[in-house]
Amino acid sequence: MSITAKSEESILHRLAAETRADGEAFRTLRNTSRKELAERRFPTPRDEDWRFLDLKPISRGGFHPLDQVSVPELPSLEAHYIPESMHSRLVFVNGVYQESLSATDGVPDSVVIGSLAQHHEHPMVEKWLNQLAIYPKDPFTSFNGSVLEDGGFVYIPKGVRIEAPIHVLNLYTEADKPYFAAPRLLFVAEEGARATVVEEHNGLGENAYLTVPVSEFKVHGGAHIHHVRIQRDSMQAVHVSRPATYIEKKGEYHSYTITFGGKLTRNEPLVVQEDEEVDFTLDGLVLIDGEQISDTHSVMDHRFSHGQSHQLHKVVVKGAAHSIFNGKIFVRKDAQKIDSFQENRNLLLSREGLVNTKPQLEIFADDVLCSHGATIGQLDPEHVFYLQSRGMTEQKAKEVLTYAFALETIENVNVESVHKLLVEEVKRYTSTELTQEMMA
Amino acid sequence: MLEIKNLHAVVEEDRTEILKGVNLTVKKGEIHAIMGPNGSGKSTLSKVVAGHHEYEVTEGEILFEGEDILELDPDERAHLGVFLAFQYPVEVPGVTNKILLRESYNTIAASRGREEMDPLEFEDYMDDMLELVEMKKEFLDRPVNTGFSGGEKKRNEIFQMAVLNPKLSFLDETDSGLDIDALRIVAGGINKIHTADDAIVMVTHYQRMLDYIEPDIVHVMMHGRIVKTGGKDLALKLEEKGYDWLESISKENGEVK
Repeated sequence: MSITAKSEESILHRLAAETRADGEAFRTLRNTSRKELAERRFPTPRDEDWRFLDLKPISRGGFHPLDQVSVPELPSLEAHYIPESMHSRLVFVNGVYQESLSATDGVPDSVVIGSLAQHHEHPMVEKWLNQLAIYPKDPFTSFNGSVLEDGGFVYIPKGVRIEAPIHVLNLYTEADKPYFAAPRLLFVAEEGARATVVEEHNGLGENAYLTVPVSEFKVHGGAHIHHVRIQRDSMQAVHVSRPATYIEKKGEYHSYTITFGGKLTRNEPLVVQEDEEVDFTLDGLVLIDGEQISDTHSVMDHRFSHGQSHQLHKVVVKGAAHSIFNGKIFVRKDAQKIDSFQENRNLLLSREGLVNTKPQLEIFADDVLCSHGATIGQLDPEHVFYLQSRGMTEQKAKEVLTYAFALETIENVNVESVHKLLVEEVKRYTSTELTQEMMA
Repeated sequence: MLEIKNLHAVVEEDRTEILKGVNLTVKKGEIHAIMGPNGSGKSTLSKVVAGHHEYEVTEGEILFEGEDILELDPDERAHLGVFLAFQYPVEVPGVTNKILLRESYNTIAASRGREEMDPLEFEDYMDDMLELVEMKKEFLDRPVNTGFSGGEKKRNEIFQMAVLNPKLSFLDETDSGLDIDALRIVAGGINKIHTADDAIVMVTHYQRMLDYIEPDIVHVMMHGRIVKTGGKDLALKLEEKGYDWLESISKENGEVK
């Protein structure tokens, strides 16, 4: 037993050690992260926060650094581009920034957008990089830092609005061996800035890879950021992500995470209210099937008074898939007048499927309004009967209702082509039998 | 059109018997009212006719146009021309009224040998039906019953009935949740939809619906049986005397002669 535990402990450390990262930028950060990583144990199911999750796909995944694998020539990527973002796009292939595929001429001149390494001396990079993704004891953030050479950087100055959505497109290619990627994103919105970010993780093949994306968002006073995250990884992929967001006075951050892909997904969004009158959303939609495992561990941390937060995490489980949800809401001492809503709704469509859910409130203030809850259920037979009585077969009625259940989160996605794409993906998940018009 | 003979039905889950030998014959062109106190089994009867899986028929038969429909799924019964207006219509976010109805209409039309309609034809057809229940056109583009008020949901049921043009409609407590103006509109719609070719069975606790829709035959249901059948004056008598009037006789004899 202890031998297994030991080999699991060292897996990220070994991968980091095998990686040749020698760029001048971020040398200090890498060194700090490596030291940190050495001290951080690889989790096991005996750790409370890792219960229910089998991490063997990582420890026994046989992943290699990118320079040890060979990848085929890139196919045409047009189909992955968003029409609204043809001039505001950052592309990463296997976690590596691609200047030639990116296009950033559609954003105002005052906005800084592009490679993190190229801007490593930008004051905002020096100030915020690695200062926001604070995950105590977590080896994955340290791992990302240990191999960091480049990433994406977006800086929106005071009062600037970016009309076109910023598309952060992460693509994962096929390869002759399993590999790992560690994408990094730093996003700083100054006072009153406005922007929409569409972050995607798409697998191009059906191969195995490990991706450990870390993103850091700093939303300054009165800035409004809309963040859509779509995960369509290969069904053999392992995805461990750490999106962290800090919001200042009167700032708003609304994020919608939609998960379709991946063999194993562990998503740990962290949102911190850093001042008063903050409003944020952390909604999620998970649609899984087969042997997929999707685990969301989120933290919403109200550190100041007058805050609003909303988390609706919806899950549909088919086949022998397994969903885990653990949502922590902290309301710190003296953080009064907090209005927080959290709900995890699970639709379990098979006997073999499994759902673990644990909403968790930790309130240290006394004048707050917090509601939380979780439901696990099947489709309501009354609803199925209703549609059947209107002439639909039972099968079709169930598909329509599953589609309807999934749709709520997607309705908030404010980029038309992305909304359309998501509707298509949901349709594909619910069925192939539905007529086009039914779901228009 | 509909013949129900000695129908017994239990709740599938706990085997509680709800229907204890219902006999009912409905002919083409007729309007029936089934009245009865809460828990008498009248809503269950409508659901069993429509084919709800929650109930199991343990004895008796349901013949629709001479055909035994007990083995048919709810959708197959709908295809034959059976319609149920729900007491509690279900919200279906993400699917608009228009789309549900066109799908339903075309599926039912196909199985009844009628022509399907293309979207434009169907649009015109729906406009006419909307007028019957005085519903605004924007209802068509709203997700089915989602965010509708109680009254709007009921009106939407009758609108669906108008569009689907069934042969036999069970209206389950259609009057509940309607204010007097809405009731007048809904009842007016039902009267316009009804022809000599179809039949309607209204299931209701109160008499007030019958002020607007005149039934040919009134039944009283109690303890899972139809205990009395009469003309529309029976409804008035019930309104005046209450269900207690029949209660004692029903308990003793099982049926009031």
